[in-house]
Amino acid sequence: MRILIKNTKIVHHNTGLSDSEQDILIDNGIIREVNNNISQKADKIIEAKGSYTSSGWTDVGTRTGEPGYEHREDIDSVTEAAAAGGYTTIITTPNNIPPTQSKSDILYLKQKSEGKLTNILPMAALSFDCAGKDIAELYDLHSSGAIAFTDGPRSIQDTGLLKRGLEYVQAFGGLILHSPVNGEFNKGWQMNEGIISTSLGMKGLPDIAEVMMVERDLRILEYTGGRLHLWNISTQGSVELVRRAKKQGLNISCSVPVMNLCFDDGALTGFDTNFKLSPPLRTAEHRNALWEGLVDGTIDFVTSEHTPLENDVKDLEFPYAKFGTIQLETAYAILQTHYGKILTPQLTEKIFSQGANTIFGLNKPDIKPGEKADLTVFDPNAEWVYLQTKIKSKSNNNPLIGKKLKGKAIATIKGNLIFAEN
Amino acid sequence: MSANQISTRHLLGIKDINEQDIELIFNTAREFKEVINRPIKKVPSLRDITIANIFFENSTRTKLSFELAEKRLSADVVNFAASSSSVSKGETLLDTVNNILSMKVDMVVMRHPAPGAPAFLAKHIQANIVNAGDGTHEHPTQALLDAYSIYEALGDIAGKKVAIIGDILHSRVALSNIYCLKKLGAHVKVCGPPTLIPKHIASLGVEISYNIDDTLQWCDVANVLRIQLERQEIKYLPSLREYALYYGINKARLDKLSKKTVIMHPGPINRGVEITSDVADSEHSIILQQVENGVAIRMAVLYLLASRKA
Repeated sequence: MRILIKNTKIVHHNTGLSDSEQDILIDNGIIREVNNNISQKADKIIEAKGSYTSSGWTDVGTRTGEPGYEHREDIDSVTEAAAAGGYTTIITTPNNIPPTQSKSDILYLKQKSEGKLTNILPMAALSFDCAGKDIAELYDLHSSGAIAFTDGPRSIQDTGLLKRGLEYVQAFGGLILHSPVNGEFNKGWQMNEGIISTSLGMKGLPDIAEVMMVERDLRILEYTGGRLHLWNISTQGSVELVRRAKKQGLNISCSVPVMNLCFDDGALTGFDTNFKLSPPLRTAEHRNALWEGLVDGTIDFVTSEHTPLENDVKDLEFPYAKFGTIQLETAYAILQTHYGKILTPQLTEKIFSQGANTIFGLNKPDIKPGEKADLTVFDPNAEWVYLQTKIKSKSNNNPLIGKKLKGKAIATIKGNLIFAEN
Repeated sequence: MSANQISTRHLLGIKDINEQDIELIFNTAREFKEVINRPIKKVPSLRDITIANIFFENSTRTKLSFELAEKRLSADVVNFAASSSSVSKGETLLDTVNNILSMKVDMVVMRHPAPGAPAFLAKHIQANIVNAGDGTHEHPTQALLDAYSIYEALGDIAGKKVAIIGDILHSRVALSNIYCLKKLGAHVKVCGPPTLIPKHIASLGVEISYNIDDTLQWCDVANVLRIQLERQEIKYLPSLREYALYYGINKARLDKLSKKTVIMHPGPINRGVEITSDVADSEHSIILQQVENGVAIRMAVLYLLASRKA
């Protein structure tokens, strides 16, 4: 199988942005040639004028659905959705049934995704059953291939658990992901606390419920050492704290969901449950602070926060609907649509690829002859309509269905496998 | 000049209607109030209309008021209460309502514990919807009847000072009243213990006070809310005794004032907690007028929605 990408600019953190358009020839899964005019025949030719090619993208915190919630998503559908969105790697949450917390759970996910364009790197439960109490068999899980540890969207309320976790994983250089929310602050919250929640009579979660948790986590990290990733922050205060902690030299990183960068709580005035998210959509002020954090490197990468849910638990009265949207197929597009030209190809490469690859220690191949192909070709100017009929995910909880978007991953390539609509 | 047609298909909240709509509802209610004081209290206006009253939360007076309003308009009425229904068997709201609508119902009057439930329903069904209270969000007909009662008592609403007193945090009545009174040009102040005042309430253009005596001295009308302990999963108050002592409206408090204050209450009253009997039953109180106006206002709302041309 020969794949030829025509007229693309290469963007890579090692080499920067290429000055001129290049052609990339991939033969049998290996990049054979990178040149400004390759005329060889190929089985698949990607006409990519105006596009950029980067290392394959990585999503962090993807919900696989399987095992346990196969009616929402399974390994086939989640990897196809990921490939359609430009991702060659997804790092998945352990919140399945059963939770990913044994050697066999890890192997199941790895084996089932073998041979797929998008490969799965599973995270394992930090605590048994993600119940927030006692640490799981982290060493054995690490040895079996768990890439990091987290209780997923369940925030760790027990300070001692986070402390023990951060200490224990230092035996093998492990990484812990934590989604910081003080659960005691306003139980039963539905959205951000502010003017909008007040006008809707809805229980809100104030920004400080996150900020005080970030503050706590940083203090613990300072005490224990080790590596912590604050997964999906949503507030200005968190950005400021992490910025300071990074300057101070703590081994801290953080991420933000694309939805929180693109929308604010004003989206909820019509009670659209597809905007019911955790962390909640905040105000424009927070949104701007998150963008600044992304640009100055305080925030390391963006997440799709892909959360497939069936209509029966999503299309309900607002307080009864579950949190989350599917975003694998639209994450890049909504970001590009909202930020236009200020989202540069270099920043796109960093927040979709290099940021997560660095923190998770993924040695993705370079874009040069002799290297294995692991590539995402994206076009910031591609206009398209997100149609329900074309969704690869098994679920359709996304407020952008039917909307016109700008920016698309036009081809995703790994080895001999390619996803390209055209 | 007021419009002759209401601007919305549903009455989901005061937020969604305009000043002309409110004026139209008041004018229509005035006519219906005259009707219900006649020996024959019934008009044939909604003779071919079937209305379902769907109540997923307990209600005595709102339900009764709606039912009377419907019957006086000659509508056919069916009642559905969650306690005696399939909701306890796990049926969804949409299934429940669609089942009722299959029996050819034209309008739905719904009370539901979830904020936004009527808006959710409006996205999925064809019938006109009247929100009879959705959780801590809105209770539009209560706000309309409250404003109408103030109008009757004081001759105007614009420029009047209205205090809403008590549990603002858990109150749909407070929120709808704020929207309604602000639209009509009143000054609004909320007063209660700080734990029961929403943090961002000032963004709705109201003043905040934690002192009941200052508030009573300031206001022309005191709308006293029920302390809804049943809505409080956490303790926002140490005790009802303490509430009554520091925020309860009693005769001694009113006697200290240098002016007459109109006292309102949406009911049901916790006598001796937020208000004492000697106040509730005094000449200051227009509580029973509120109840009477409730029927007229609901008749007006139902009539205007049913007779609205698309």
